[in-house]
Amino acid sequence: VGEKAPASPRADLLTAAVLFVLGIAIVAHAFQMPRFVEQSGTGLTAPGIVPGFHGTMIALLSAVLGLRAIRRGGIAARGPATQGGGDGRRLALAAALGVLYAGVLVGRLPFWLASALFVFAFTTAFEWHDDPRRRSRRVAEAAAIGLGTGLLVTLVFEKLFLLRLP
Amino acid sequence: VTDALAMLGGGFAHVFAGGAAFHALWAVLIGIVIGALPGLTATMGVALLTTLTFGMGPNVAMMVLVCVYVGAIYGGSRSAILLNIPGTPASAASTLDGYPLARRGLAGRAMGISTAGSWLGTLFGAMILALFAPTFGEFALQFGSYEMFWVALFGIIIAGSLSGGDALKGYIAGFLGLFVATIGQEANHAYPRFAFGNGDLAGGLGLLPVLVGVFGVAEVLSSMRGPAVKAVSSKIDSVIPRISDITKYWRTIFRSGALGTFIGAMPGLGEDIAAWTSYAAAKRASKERDEFGKGSVEGLMAAETGESACVPGAIIPVLTLAVPGSAPAAVLMAAMMIHGLNPGPMLAITTPEFIYQIVAMLIVADVVKLFYGLVLVKPLLWILLIPRARLMPVVFVLCTVGAFAITSRLFDIWVMLGAGLVGFILRELRFPMAPLVLGIVLGDLLDKNLLRGLVLSGGDLTPFFTRPISMALCALTLAAAMWSIPGVGRLFRRRPAAAG
Repeated sequence: VGEKAPASPRADLLTAAVLFVLGIAIVAHAFQMPRFVEQSGTGLTAPGIVPGFHGTMIALLSAVLGLRAIRRGGIAARGPATQGGGDGRRLALAAALGVLYAGVLVGRLPFWLASALFVFAFTTAFEWHDDPRRRSRRVAEAAAIGLGTGLLVTLVFEKLFLLRLP
Repeated sequence: VTDALAMLGGGFAHVFAGGAAFHALWAVLIGIVIGALPGLTATMGVALLTTLTFGMGPNVAMMVLVCVYVGAIYGGSRSAILLNIPGTPASAASTLDGYPLARRGLAGRAMGISTAGSWLGTLFGAMILALFAPTFGEFALQFGSYEMFWVALFGIIIAGSLSGGDALKGYIAGFLGLFVATIGQEANHAYPRFAFGNGDLAGGLGLLPVLVGVFGVAEVLSSMRGPAVKAVSSKIDSVIPRISDITKYWRTIFRSGALGTFIGAMPGLGEDIAAWTSYAAAKRASKERDEFGKGSVEGLMAAETGESACVPGAIIPVLTLAVPGSAPAAVLMAAMMIHGLNPGPMLAITTPEFIYQIVAMLIVADVVKLFYGLVLVKPLLWILLIPRARLMPVVFVLCTVGAFAITSRLFDIWVMLGAGLVGFILRELRFPMAPLVLGIVLGDLLDKNLLRGLVLSGGDLTPFFTRPISMALCALTLAAAMWSIPGVGRLFRRRPAAAG
């Protein structure tokens, strides 16, 4: 109860393959790290020991995950039908706006302006298809929320809590 | 006992004299609102508020964060009861009986039960924390590098085994977290691991940006993807808890309090497991078993008491071992380190009074939570109806501030974005997040203690297995790992666990 449906065997198999490669890459990279035998005398403080252990465990466990997925029909079975296109579009829109804001706008524009633009764009985009008769009102509200957020966050964090903003 | 009471009195005096208690009024409220809003969790709340506390003294900062933690775990039950959507994962078990009660027109009574159960749960847990943490802390002083290595590994294994249904994915998540913690300069030779010549990577990935990404950005993405929340009924009966509900189910309250605190004290398990376990135990022992899932007062009481007792429980290993008992406690621990408070075995020697200050903070937060639980009904209902298209971008802005503020590096914002996207994908693939967080937090502990142990023993691995406490911890770790192997667990179980 309360649990989501498990991932499909096909998805598990692909994940296992990616993680296995990651695990091996970590081990390979850890192996190439300097050992500092002269400094420590024993080489037991070599920086690669711990990540090498983690990488080995990731590779081993993902191999088990892959084998389990194959036993459950991961090679033969197609994954379940992908989620509705609406879900995917909403997700892609949210991610794209987030990356645009945090990765591009922040640092190039004043923080309050970047935040105001982001909140406005986000709210407007996600509410665009709601009742068309009230659209102009929603856009105005989104602009007010955006501006309010930008100014309030700047005021509270920079002036009240004396933190530096990007 | 007299010493303990005097220290507890000192803890209260410290909390009130420093003016920290005043901060409880707003911090608990923020916690409740964060918890009540679906998509905002206690972990995210503590992580975001950590940013606000940078400029505060350690005492006030801890007060604020403890209050947010306590408030958020309680707040989650509001949306569980009114929307049938757990506001935090901890409240998932509360939907089973809370929502049916609300549908019968007893939303107020359900909230009253939740308030009473949650209040008593945290109080119970705080008492256990005051009673056992100092003793356990003294015992933990015997832990050397070998033992601390096993504690860290045990945390990952137990969190992986029990926190998300699929133990294998739990272990992988845990080791991924441990790997993330190794990025950047290591302690012995300052060699930049996995930096690839990048100066920012050589500095390591900040704990807070990663946590804000995994719990903030990933949750914003998750909640924008799903269907919109349905409106709730706005007619609410009295929220004053009935004394008869408490006296009738006092056994359930004690059982759930004890179970919740115990599960909290286990590394990485957290409030959701505490609530489910308390609920399942109450169902097994109940004479009204058939009512469970249809609007059982006892079921709701058990879930609420269990999840709230887990909060002080999760702080026990933070204070005694520097190992967090839950994901929000992991962030709380990170905040303690940021503020120069060094949780762990040495705390029992350096600042034993700190344990009692935390107990006092928990009790003050609990009382304020009770107050808001009784008076704050309608405003919380309005907050629950804020459209996510308006709330989530604001949360995203706060995440960005939270990631940036600690070191003022734009690199940390990229770390937050990366961690958020990876965290989201891992969630979609049903990897539990608790072991991942625990791995990130415990990575340093495991790394340093493994190498220190190896150096101390001259490369000999035997002390890791032959010292008495090491041997016990190793056996526990192996048992936890074996338990999750299909077939092995079944040999010892008489019947499948009924988790509701």
